[in-house]
Amino acid sequence: MTGLLGLEEVKSALERFGTVEQVRFNRIKLATTPEKVHEALFRAQTLLACDHLIQISALDNGQNFELIYHLTGPHRTVISIAIALPRDRPEMPTTSDILPPAGIYERQIYDLLGIVFTGHPNLKRIILSEDWPENEFPLRKDWKPRPRIPSGGTREEGK
Amino acid sequence: MPEVILPIGPQHPALKEPVNFRVIVDGETIVGLELDVSYTHRGIEKAAEQRDFIRVVPLLERVCGICSHAHAQAFCTGIEEIMQLEVPPRAQYLRTIVAELERMHSHILWLGVAAHVVGFNTLFMWTWRDRETTQDILEEMTGNRMNYGMNEVGGVRRDLSPGQIRSILSRLPKLEEQIGKYVEMVKGEETMLLRFRGIGKLSKAEALRYGTVGPTARASGVDYDVRRDDPSIAYPEVPWKVVTDTNGDVYGRTLVRIGELQESLGIIRYCLEHLPEGQIYVPAPKVAPKAEILSRYEAPRGELAHFIRTNGTDKVDRIDIRTPTLANWTSVTVSLVNQNIADIPVIVAAIDPCLSCTSRITILSERGRRRGEMSWAQLVDHGQRFYREGGRS
Amino acid sequence: MSMFPLSGSLSRRLANWARVRSPWVSVFNTGSCNACDIEVIATLMPRFDAERFGILAKGSPRHADILIVTGPVTTKQESRLRRIWEQMPEPKYVIAMGACGASGGVFQGLYHVMDGVESVIPVDVFVAGCPPRPDEIINAVVACLMLMKEDLDRGGKEWRRKPVERPATGTAPQEPGKVPA
Repeated sequence: MTGLLGLEEVKSALERFGTVEQVRFNRIKLATTPEKVHEALFRAQTLLACDHLIQISALDNGQNFELIYHLTGPHRTVISIAIALPRDRPEMPTTSDILPPAGIYERQIYDLLGIVFTGHPNLKRIILSEDWPENEFPLRKDWKPRPRIPSGGTREEGK
Repeated sequence: MPEVILPIGPQHPALKEPVNFRVIVDGETIVGLELDVSYTHRGIEKAAEQRDFIRVVPLLERVCGICSHAHAQAFCTGIEEIMQLEVPPRAQYLRTIVAELERMHSHILWLGVAAHVVGFNTLFMWTWRDRETTQDILEEMTGNRMNYGMNEVGGVRRDLSPGQIRSILSRLPKLEEQIGKYVEMVKGEETMLLRFRGIGKLSKAEALRYGTVGPTARASGVDYDVRRDDPSIAYPEVPWKVVTDTNGDVYGRTLVRIGELQESLGIIRYCLEHLPEGQIYVPAPKVAPKAEILSRYEAPRGELAHFIRTNGTDKVDRIDIRTPTLANWTSVTVSLVNQNIADIPVIVAAIDPCLSCTSRITILSERGRRRGEMSWAQLVDHGQRFYREGGRS
Repeated sequence: MSMFPLSGSLSRRLANWARVRSPWVSVFNTGSCNACDIEVIATLMPRFDAERFGILAKGSPRHADILIVTGPVTTKQESRLRRIWEQMPEPKYVIAMGACGASGGVFQGLYHVMDGVESVIPVDVFVAGCPPRPDEIINAVVACLMLMKEDLDRGGKEWRRKPVERPATGTAPQEPGKVPA
């Protein structure tokens, strides 16, 4: 542990990509745009010593999709890099080249929300069953579940 | 070149029946790896959006039955911070006691399973017998042996009487003695050393690069433990230390887990002896203000992250859960390539996969063709036979 | 103090009979949180020691007399569960564990879940709990053995099968686990 990063330090590294604000005593958030994420992540890794990807939070806020990359390092400050993606074209370049664990996380986000990570080496289904229909993304706010048809058993029979 | 597919199941490695875990190998060496986590996907994150803050906690507890308190913990502390609730100290101490008991039961369980995988069934039986002590304590405290239902937003549901505290404290020395014996057993047992040393080795740089967490990362010298680095509940007030190791292999992970068992026992004892008086919960409002929080907790398997966004209603707008096992799978992918089939069970078991947080692995070569199949039981047997007959090629 | 619920000569007769019969029990996980699976393993460990009742957890489900099913049955596991059950030789028995096995438990209604074992295969014994305790699991297996004996005496399961009413819908049969297009 090397001591929390100060807001000024993070601002000087990441301000060029968007607004930087302190959201918690140990979490600083950058709001930026999709095409700048790669470079922002790279700068966080090199200039701010971030060596651990905690999570790629993905959500549908009703209007558009949001992705938030949470990184941390020996300083134990969480750097959150947040972007928004348009609903009609949720595409984002992959970050698995500089953040290997993103390989799995991006596949899961693709499966559940339908965000396409361009350049991903293996963007296939990972969490929904193989007979799950295409283009059904359960975590989207406008998704309605379909009735499930069981294959047998006695549930419908003589109760 | 013969290609064999070895299916290995999503069930707990101690159970003998596989469902699916396909490895395509070139002779005895593994060529490639693929992952499929759909078998236990239940749709919990979506369901959580439709349940209020009281009903959602039992659901989140059952993401994983072995680290159930950790999930409820991460969620409750996150929501409490959003609601700006001041949770009473007694509740925080009680939460810590249950959390560390859970860590103990999980690590002892793991030790038994790891021993079983290499054929050291005596240790399997002994550890699970000792584990019953922790299960009894948990049942007396919370009413259930697993999925305790102890946490709620605002505190805990049940209190401890002075008689219970005395009773629990009296059982800890025996458990401590048993755990001390595990260290000797692991260090002195030839089979375990042979099967664990040098296997699944991850350097510190690799552990960080692949996003590993928990004992798997700490065994490679990564000094990261959320209980110290983003503390919650009673950890800042209790004297304890983070256990790390430099071996980086399965042996190192075993030593880290045993070390954590000893630390956990110390934390439980301290919390019981210094349990503050007072309330065990504070009434929580029905509705949470609009906010977002990244709530982290150190589950037995590693860093657990709950990203929660609330929207001014009595339900979450979104909860995004990243389980520690998912974070560790990338390292399994990497550390299995070019290893022997015989080492698969040990390498997989060494990250302590919570198989309801994730599920099965399909391992494929670039060509992706398949010809034969082996079950998990056959794989475990194969590993034991391989090492009995002379060891790695 | 015995963990076995009944006392006296009935338990002795049961234990003797169970030992003679020695059923093979196999566990199949259909997407559970693993608590039930861990309690099944704990049942075989020295403290509860199910093996003294002649209960052996070995072999694949395809060779089992009793299939213990944990989990709420995810859509992914549904067809596998059905296949495993079909491959079991008669007489076969199914124990559905826990709240999940009965109705889907806390996961009832979720989009990737079939809501309990009975929507996929016929169940003989339900065990309550979340998870059921090891002694409750032993209780369930012994209850299943009693059921097996009674079925043997009465020549099969027909005596306890409920009358079947086929729903008159007109929809074509769907493939297992698939959502309708």
